[in-house]
Amino acid sequence: MTAAGAVQTPGSLGTRIHIGSQIYNEIAEFLFEEAGHLDRLDLLKWADMLAEDLVYTVPMRLNRPLADQEASVVRSVKHLDETKASILTRIARLTKTKSAWAEDPPSRQRRLVTNILVNATTRPDEFSVVSYLLLTRNRFNQEQYQLMSAERTDTIRRTPAGLKLAFREVLLDQATLGMPNLAIFL
Amino acid sequence: MNQTQQSMLADGTSIADLVNPATREVQVRTLGDPEIYQLELQRIFGKTWLLLGHDSEIPKPGDFVTRDMGEDSVIVARTREGEVRVSLNVCPHRGMKVCMTDSGNAHVHKCTYHGWAFKPDGEFIGAPIAQERMHGEIIPKEKLGLKQARVHLYGGLIFATWNVDGPSFEEFLGDVKWYYDLLFDRTDLGLEVLGPPQRFIIHANWKAASEQSACDGYHTLTLHSWLGEIGGFGNGDLTTSMYGVDVGSPHGHALRCMPVVNKFEKARSFEARGLTVEQRLAELPPPGVTPDMLPQLKRKLTPDQLRILVDSPPQVAGMFPNILIAFVYIPQKGGDPLGMCSLHTYIPRGPDKLEFVNWVLADKTASAEHKIIMRDVSTRMFGTSGMVEQDDSDTWPHMTKSARGAMGRKMTMKYQAICSKARPANWPGPGLLYDGFTKDDTQWNWWMYWRELMTAPQEASVSADPGERAERRFKVASNVR
Repeated sequence: MTAAGAVQTPGSLGTRIHIGSQIYNEIAEFLFEEAGHLDRLDLLKWADMLAEDLVYTVPMRLNRPLADQEASVVRSVKHLDETKASILTRIARLTKTKSAWAEDPPSRQRRLVTNILVNATTRPDEFSVVSYLLLTRNRFNQEQYQLMSAERTDTIRRTPAGLKLAFREVLLDQATLGMPNLAIFL
Repeated sequence: MNQTQQSMLADGTSIADLVNPATREVQVRTLGDPEIYQLELQRIFGKTWLLLGHDSEIPKPGDFVTRDMGEDSVIVARTREGEVRVSLNVCPHRGMKVCMTDSGNAHVHKCTYHGWAFKPDGEFIGAPIAQERMHGEIIPKEKLGLKQARVHLYGGLIFATWNVDGPSFEEFLGDVKWYYDLLFDRTDLGLEVLGPPQRFIIHANWKAASEQSACDGYHTLTLHSWLGEIGGFGNGDLTTSMYGVDVGSPHGHALRCMPVVNKFEKARSFEARGLTVEQRLAELPPPGVTPDMLPQLKRKLTPDQLRILVDSPPQVAGMFPNILIAFVYIPQKGGDPLGMCSLHTYIPRGPDKLEFVNWVLADKTASAEHKIIMRDVSTRMFGTSGMVEQDDSDTWPHMTKSARGAMGRKMTMKYQAICSKARPANWPGPGLLYDGFTKDDTQWNWWMYWRELMTAPQEASVSADPGERAERRFKVASNVR
């Protein structure tokens, strides 16, 4: 049931778009803005950054031998397996109902996005982007943070309405998640 | 047989008194007390049948997964002969964990510490440097295998117990097997997992989750009221889904048989009441079933079972001690008959921690397209990110915290909503039947079985030292009233 290892975004050419170039800066700014919307619970603003044909997944991880690391990523059943429509349903639950208790009162979230690398793809309007995410989440009066670290592989597309997220795979560093739910977005 | 019993907690509380049959109350301290938890590991998780997975996870000889029975890691492996065996994942040499990965294929499981090696059936192959006889001469090789649990496969589900001389799985399940067969033994090839289980930690006592699984339908009205608040899921008013037949068992198993007429009418916009069993099967098959499976269903199930399956299928069920089964009707927009099949077990990880293990299932013969839709529905509603179960994961930790307070732990959980209706008319199935609005009866049965196991006479450990045996005798004597 398990598939291959680290994902390659569709059409990635492996041609690096250097740090500091205009495209790189735009993409970095896009990712920072995105993190800010999510941290501030501006979920509808975040949804505006998503392409209509979005594929958004969070595979599972398994402990497998070093020689078999491909199998450490599980893309059959996943933790999150979303389209834009299903994400909008999740957002509607969180913002339009009075009983989304998993995030009411909401957790305080902080997304630290680093190690951004951008590659060109076969399509001039799409870029393959890898970033690291460290998410801290704190709820109620917990003295400890719930932490999550991950590598995200994105396709970011240039459109007349600005950059949009068209593909994201979030590779978590935990096989057994330490937080009780993923009522949040990564 | 020499039998002894610790029937008191250290503070003098009788274990039997934690559950009060006269008033149907359970002390909140049961959700957090470390002493109770340690006893549970022996008296519940050391005694009952426990769910470890599904045989479709280990289809080939040598395939294995590591799982947990209580706090004990076990290797669940398929032998060369095709048999499923469950071995304690503890090396008989020095107590090291033998298998460190979650899954794989191996005909030899070799301990990384000193290299003792074992077959998938737990048999000891040997220790490195054979001529030096590093396993010694005191214990024969055939007694140095990995400790074996007793295994039973039911509808592909792998169950195991340490209670090798105890009740069979059928005895444990009892007459309510009739209903579980509607879910797990209804097609020729049965179910398969759609992937490995999701796993995540909730800082809650395992019983907070598990007693809810014994068919707490009532919480849906409040905790999951969002289902009625946005379109596409509820009927606006969730109250209608509270009515049905709850099926209970003296062993704490429970199923909520929920009429599907309203879902029918919502999905297909027509009057379903007049339809025959046959028509209903074809028009809106039960969760996970597609019309092409119907001939199999008719072969495998009795007409009475078929009727319950189309009228009031068990959509949410529990199995003692720590299993939730959710085979839920979720007709899709446009009326496509669809459901999701999700299976959880709640592994105890300490008095205030559980590991939530969630498998997503589908019938083996379902089309690839159907399986993907079922997987997506299941992932979005249940498990790690499931919009329904997110809210449960938020509730159980607070109950567990309540058990810490000097006052909170003295409070009680109440199961005093009692079904007063007669046996449902024209109901062909067995079990303890509770008709009408879902009440506390099946959860109360769960606690009464917990109490029965927690107070059952324990076999004296052969290896207990004389001092410990004397202490136990003293405790037994002092408990005589």
